[in-house]
Amino acid sequence: MAPVGRALRHLLLASAGLLLIPLALRGAAALHPIANLQPTYLPSLEGPRERAPFDASRPAALARMQPAYVVIGDSMAGSRIDPAVFARASGESVAPLLYAGSGPAWWYLVLKNWVIASGIHPKAVFVFFRDTNLTNVMFRIDATWSLDTAALAEEDGLNEVVARRRGNTFYELRSGFDRVYASTEARRGIEPLVNEWPARAMFPYRRQREAFMLAVNERFGLDHLRPMDAADMQATEDREADFAAFVDKSQLPLMLRDAQRAGLRLVLVRVQRRPAGGQPPYQSPALQRYVRDLRAYVEARGGVLFDDTGDPAQTLDWYEDGDHLSREGRRRYTERFAERIRLQLP
Amino acid sequence: MIFHSLDFVVFVVLVVAIYWRLPQRAQNVLLLVSSYVFYGYVHPWFLILIASSTLIDYLSARGMERWPEHRRRFMAVSIVSNFGMLGFFKYFNFFADNVQAVLAAAGVQVSAPVLRVLLPVGISFYTFQAMSYTVDVFRGELRARRSLLDVAVFISFFPHLVAGPIQRASFLLPQVEAERRFSVHHATTGLSLMVWGFFKKLVIADNVGVIANKVFALRDPSFEILWAGVFAFAIQIYADFSAYTDIARGSSRWLGFELTENFDHPYMARSPADFWRRWNISLSTWFRDYVYIPLGGSRATGLLWARNILVTFLLSGLWHGASWNYVLWGAYHGVLLLLTRAHQMVRKPRDGPRTSDLGLRQLPQIAGMFALTLVGWLLFRETELSAIVRDLTLVPWHSTPADRQIGVYLFLLAFGYSIPLWVQSIWVEMHRGRPAPAEESWGRAGLRALAYGAAFAAILVLRSRTSLDFIYFQF
Repeated sequence: MAPVGRALRHLLLASAGLLLIPLALRGAAALHPIANLQPTYLPSLEGPRERAPFDASRPAALARMQPAYVVIGDSMAGSRIDPAVFARASGESVAPLLYAGSGPAWWYLVLKNWVIASGIHPKAVFVFFRDTNLTNVMFRIDATWSLDTAALAEEDGLNEVVARRRGNTFYELRSGFDRVYASTEARRGIEPLVNEWPARAMFPYRRQREAFMLAVNERFGLDHLRPMDAADMQATEDREADFAAFVDKSQLPLMLRDAQRAGLRLVLVRVQRRPAGGQPPYQSPALQRYVRDLRAYVEARGGVLFDDTGDPAQTLDWYEDGDHLSREGRRRYTERFAERIRLQLP
Repeated sequence: MIFHSLDFVVFVVLVVAIYWRLPQRAQNVLLLVSSYVFYGYVHPWFLILIASSTLIDYLSARGMERWPEHRRRFMAVSIVSNFGMLGFFKYFNFFADNVQAVLAAAGVQVSAPVLRVLLPVGISFYTFQAMSYTVDVFRGELRARRSLLDVAVFISFFPHLVAGPIQRASFLLPQVEAERRFSVHHATTGLSLMVWGFFKKLVIADNVGVIANKVFALRDPSFEILWAGVFAFAIQIYADFSAYTDIARGSSRWLGFELTENFDHPYMARSPADFWRRWNISLSTWFRDYVYIPLGGSRATGLLWARNILVTFLLSGLWHGASWNYVLWGAYHGVLLLLTRAHQMVRKPRDGPRTSDLGLRQLPQIAGMFALTLVGWLLFRETELSAIVRDLTLVPWHSTPADRQIGVYLFLLAFGYSIPLWVQSIWVEMHRGRPAPAEESWGRAGLRALAYGAAFAAILVLRSRTSLDFIYFQF
């Protein structure tokens, strides 16, 4: 074993190497300047990046339209609500604000920055979700292509719940590292070099390479995935079904608070997953408890919860792939939904 | 709390900063409290289980020593409670499903109860570790400890609590009881292990893991795509699990503890026996000492010996998860070991100690063993038996040219990320058996510093955008 003095100098040298050598990344960053690099609205999750612009046309369009009903959600809402059928059945105007592959963070931002910002006062705003999605802010939060369209330059409320959810108490420390080493910028230059070398080696010409990468993406497209993966049908895990543990780490309190302040009636619609064996999908005791707690929480804050699970009318023949409904199922669902709100939301 | 988070780094720094200001007993109290905070960080109810396991094993061991004539009863209490807990949380549904399937095959329709509880992370590791304590006391190889605190620290020591390496009581308990001194040398080597561990997890395992996950989500993989995915998984599982071990060993050194090694460059193995001397060493030796040898080990001959091997490997497979594919994986490795041993017996030369050089003669053996290991990883990763059958019947001449190209592309991508692992393993193999220099030269120290910096830079710019849990957390 080395004498203490020498060992200490080696430790100091190692620490210096650890902290100083990555400064070279600043040089790499300078070689790949990014024109449109912007600070993120979710610093607890990511560093600066190029972002798509906020879609300011949406609140303006809503203000012009003054819809009676607003529907927010992902493909679960899209494959259940046919806006034309809904409008006809309810005799009211409907504004669908849908994005396939979106998650609760987007739904919250849409509610806050499009619906409430537009100043409209619809009879109800519906948010469709599955299982425990509403208390899992991380669900599809990486879908930045959708998030960006509804996010302002700063989203402190959302950022805070993301930090809480991730247990990422020290994200400012990480952001500090990113700033010191310019690692976000350097990553833009270095990461593609590492990830694209096999394609570059196999296809020296750009056009060939691009065609190949398209083929790779197609090969891993929905058509080629196992049914469970394709339909995102994995049942939610019970660890997500602890309402008390996750509600304050989610955007749900913000949604209810903002809707209440704006005088909006927020209706949360928990869709039914695909039935199996002629039965509604299994709901574990934990999940049943979760729904009870969710309902109590939502109703105490002026919201309404619809839970489709167990609805005897929603049989397997309504479904197409995974939890998505077929065209016919969608029509039937929409008509039933319009009837339901006529009775339950006078 | 997860290892590959800034929270963990801050947690360790805080614990270390307080730890070395305390006397030995207070250090142990701090270790226990921090271990329980670490373990109960997300699900505090997990603490009930580990605390119960600790108390039962502590009392069982004390009982064995106090009333030797009843030691079998106390041993039974320890075994039943540990295996009962493990069986309930990990194997109940597997058992119920299979009973239901057997009854259904016999024409009896019953609805099996389904247990919907979360498998407590690390339960397979700490129950095995706790049992090594009571078994060693039962055998008279270890004296029962008076201090509940020391036993509790031994079982819950946070650096290795969730995914090992499983430590023997005879190795770790004396360290818990002893006065510990801060060593700059250990701090340096600990830092080295941690940096390498974080690099392996965040840069290698998580990036190749994405490739493996994509391939194993396909319902119609071609031969080339499938095996590129299996290769990616082989790299992922080694980088991931060994990363956990490195971080565990590195952070332990900062606390004045030494944990045993768990990996010794397993993809450089020349034979199945050699592989198991290099892969998950702590688990392999646990099964050797507590299952294989009590069954008769290699003292038995012929069929009995084969039975001992197969039982040990089947149980080892089942330990990994309540699913038939893990049992199959265990059986596969057991059969490989039997076949190679039989082959050696026919050829006479024995499976001797590992050679210290890496010559051309060893390359076919290493490549052959790696290929056999890949088949094993396919069984391990593919959870549906029908998919395993489909995968094993894929042939290259049915692939389209596009699929061949995609397979090559995925393989190269995974291989590119794994280059640091291969370089390290080849370097170690080439230098195996050579005495380490008594003192590290400044040149080596400089290179080490350079490597730390490069690894940290790589973590900053190449860490996967998809953060995956450590694979062995689920076991």
